[in-house]
Amino acid sequence: MGAGHPSVPSQVPDEIAGLLSRRDILKRAGALSLGGLVLSALPAAERILATVPPAEAAVNLADATLQAVADTLIPGRRVQVTDLGHEIHPKAIAGVHHEPGAVEADALLLFHSPLIGFDALEPAFLSELSARSLLRGGQFLDLPFAKRVAVCVDGLDPRNPTVVVWEAAIAVAFTAFIAAATQRNATIDTASGYQVMGYPGTALNGYAEYSYRRKLSKEATSTGSLP
Amino acid sequence: MPERVDICIVGSGFGGSIAAYRLAELYRAAGESPSILVLERGRRHQHTDFRQSTDIEHLSAIYGLVQGQGAQIVIGDGVGGGSNFYLAASLRAPRETFERRDRHPDDGPPRRVWPQEISRAALDPYYARAEAALRVQRPTWKQVAKAGGLWAKTLDNAGHTCDRVPLAIDLERCIQARWCHTGCIYGAKNSVITNYLASAERMGVEVRPSSQADLITQSAARPYRYLVAASEIDNDGDDPSRQPTGRESLIECKVLILSAGAMGNAPLLMRSRPGLPSLSSQAGKHLGVNGDHIAAVEYDESKVRDVLGLPGYGQVYKGNHITTMTYDFWRDKPGNAGDGKRFTLQEIYLSPLAHTLYDDGREPAGAPSFFGLQKKEGLSTFNNHIEVLAMVEDTHDGEFLAPPPFGSHVRPNAGPLGVGPFNYELSEQSARVREAADAAIQSVVERSGLARFMKLTFRNVFASHPLGGCRMAESKDEGVVDHRNEVFGYEGLFCIDSSAIPTSLGVNPSLTISAVSERAAALLVDRAADYGLPAKPAGFAPGVPGVFLGPHTTPVRRSSDDAIDAKVRSYA
Repeated sequence: MGAGHPSVPSQVPDEIAGLLSRRDILKRAGALSLGGLVLSALPAAERILATVPPAEAAVNLADATLQAVADTLIPGRRVQVTDLGHEIHPKAIAGVHHEPGAVEADALLLFHSPLIGFDALEPAFLSELSARSLLRGGQFLDLPFAKRVAVCVDGLDPRNPTVVVWEAAIAVAFTAFIAAATQRNATIDTASGYQVMGYPGTALNGYAEYSYRRKLSKEATSTGSLP
Repeated sequence: MPERVDICIVGSGFGGSIAAYRLAELYRAAGESPSILVLERGRRHQHTDFRQSTDIEHLSAIYGLVQGQGAQIVIGDGVGGGSNFYLAASLRAPRETFERRDRHPDDGPPRRVWPQEISRAALDPYYARAEAALRVQRPTWKQVAKAGGLWAKTLDNAGHTCDRVPLAIDLERCIQARWCHTGCIYGAKNSVITNYLASAERMGVEVRPSSQADLITQSAARPYRYLVAASEIDNDGDDPSRQPTGRESLIECKVLILSAGAMGNAPLLMRSRPGLPSLSSQAGKHLGVNGDHIAAVEYDESKVRDVLGLPGYGQVYKGNHITTMTYDFWRDKPGNAGDGKRFTLQEIYLSPLAHTLYDDGREPAGAPSFFGLQKKEGLSTFNNHIEVLAMVEDTHDGEFLAPPPFGSHVRPNAGPLGVGPFNYELSEQSARVREAADAAIQSVVERSGLARFMKLTFRNVFASHPLGGCRMAESKDEGVVDHRNEVFGYEGLFCIDSSAIPTSLGVNPSLTISAVSERAAALLVDRAADYGLPAKPAGFAPGVPGVFLGPHTTPVRRSSDDAIDAKVRSYA
């Protein structure tokens, strides 16, 4: 079993959110001797932005990083646009799987949904992500897939005091992919997550062949309930 | 001046709707128009408001997901409460449930947990009453879903029995779409908005949506006993905030029935303690989750065909959500010696989203298995999964802390996610019995190499069946309400809903909540005159609520699945 777990969406209490302020993250990072790395991440981020060709700048760095996180959590094939036609940063998808992943399923849109509230956590999350990524050799977007995985394993470690923020991130990516949460009345024709799962989605006409239509076990009761 | 009614009911789920209907019957039998007001925090849903969709807007409109310390609990939001989204399994709890003597550590002296007056035999007449109202029927084997049939045959292969589960579903009307969890668009599922509550409203009960009870105090204006401060919630329009609008109201009543659920009643009472100083110190304690413990199973389709003789699985998306379960791991531990060790195992389809929660756990070990490539592999076999709900005898390990300023939990935006002021830490017994359930599932499904067990990757408890917080007990030292669901020390103040249930049940809780609520309502009707309500007329007999579907989509049944099955296979 993994070190952490992909819990369902978590809304962080104010007091916890407070703990996750940039200053506190820096303080904690400092305790881990990461403070300097975090600070150096800012010009590094600017350098990355500066090296992105104009055509790639349609997705900003923060969003590109969130897309890369989503791709690490549910990896997918390299594509340029999402199910709903939004652009994908060229560096976001590592391309380690041949089927659609969370980025294609519009995880970024869900990250920014006001009904989720992840925007309030994003600065702290990206700061910590950046610090942990630099320990692994560079900005998250520049890391190879295996190192991206290692960063997420670290963040999702239950001993990480900010694990709840990472759990929120994983929940958003999974909800976008498994629940097609950015689409109303999604079907297998419209939602790439459903395609991977083989899930038809909305089924207005139900199913005719839903039962094996025969007795398949002995029963312990005559009514379905124990006495 | 406060608005005056005889009876105010807070919450419109099973408990509130049953109380409203039975008390409305009394008024009608006495020749009076009901003076009954039901306050509901959520909005009113018609069947046509539901969608077969888990888009975030729909989830926000119908659900709350309350994050506490150590647990995440799903609650229904809206008129009809959890009944709109339940999966309709309607079972009587086994007799051992009511005779249990085990309990959470530090929970007083050894004793029977339920009050002496409550037993399976005492509840049977009320179970029958609820079954009639909710039109419970047991599916035939020809109506058992493939996933349920697969679970039955898997158990049979391991030498176990497996029973069909009675359902509160009109099986003639149901088209087996497996979309109960976001509200039935056809009205085939018998939620209280089609029976108890709909009938109560037709008898004159007023249901007031978007009205949240925030505070209770006592009234000195006898026969009025209680004042309820309520705030209006912005639930309507295209972009509701789902927060209080600032508009408030005050209701004065002779009888106050709290039916805001296990996640609602305790925070409301705790916040109101200054006005209810004799409230039991047990308020807010012993929050449970009905022993819910889920896992998933990934079948080898060829083994299903060759060993079990069931061709063509890979269709987890078809049929009713719950159709079969085994009692074998309950029946083999009789008497009080088995207390805290029993569990049942039920095939359940919660929602595809629940598959976030299962650890893929395949080789090679060492790679993360709850996200990444391994997890992706697990999701790609979704159609060969089933989910199993273990309902274990645990010890109600949760406790509410200080309540939020209003409402039952803090909802920071209009979305479904909120923060609840409670802790949930599994006791050693609760953890142990869950491990036993995992071992039993694994043993059954891995026999003959049929399938792979996928454990819940939990640091938290994930549950949709919160119980307790205002549990019933013999005395105020042990609980909040007596066997009649009346709050100790407060005449005319009741908790009639899941909050009064003191133990996990071994079965899905809706029918037991209904039976306990039916009993509480009947005892209240018997003593109605004592509270200043109409006296129960001679010869009064409770009836069966009618069925009123309201607006709904007309079901059009698919005649063959060939086209959709082919499409699913084409994507695979």
